[in-house]
Amino acid sequence: MKQHLGRQSGVQSVDVSLIDGKVDVTPKEDGQIDPAQLLKAVYDSGVTVAEMDVTARGKIVKDASGNLALQVSPNQSFAIAPNDLLKSVEPLADSPVLVTVRGELYRKPAGKKKPAASAPLKLLILEVQKKE
Amino acid sequence: MNTRKLALLFLLGSAFAPVSQAQIKQIEMRVEGMT
Repeated sequence: MKQHLGRQSGVQSVDVSLIDGKVDVTPKEDGQIDPAQLLKAVYDSGVTVAEMDVTARGKIVKDASGNLALQVSPNQSFAIAPNDLLKSVEPLADSPVLVTVRGELYRKPAGKKKPAASAPLKLLILEVQKKE
Repeated sequence: MNTRKLALLFLLGSAFAPVSQAQIKQIEMRVEGMT
């Protein structure tokens, strides 16, 4: 699985801890990495992902339907799931302020083995680390 | 003319700069069934 993940585009390094079942992926300098692709790569190697957390820096933007998203590159953004922390970043929508957040991008649905391929990843903000 | 070009470049640069600093810094997964 480590080799399989390491071959994915945008991956700089992969650290696997067999003891606690944790996999840390460090993106390359440009940060151009697709979490959905990593999720698929892990499943393809025969391992089930229980949870995927991400630390990312980006701009809070509003999409066409008015929902908030974290834009991490000109062509990559993640819709933000509503919670209390969303309210703290809501005023920054469409401003030039960059926020660094840690959030949950995926959690295995109860009772299901594989994620729905078509379901887009939603970011549930767990911590707002920095506003700059 | 050159001033207009410079102004346009500055505007484009300032529009894209914040996003170019944006990035995914770390991804952490908890997996099951790993041997």
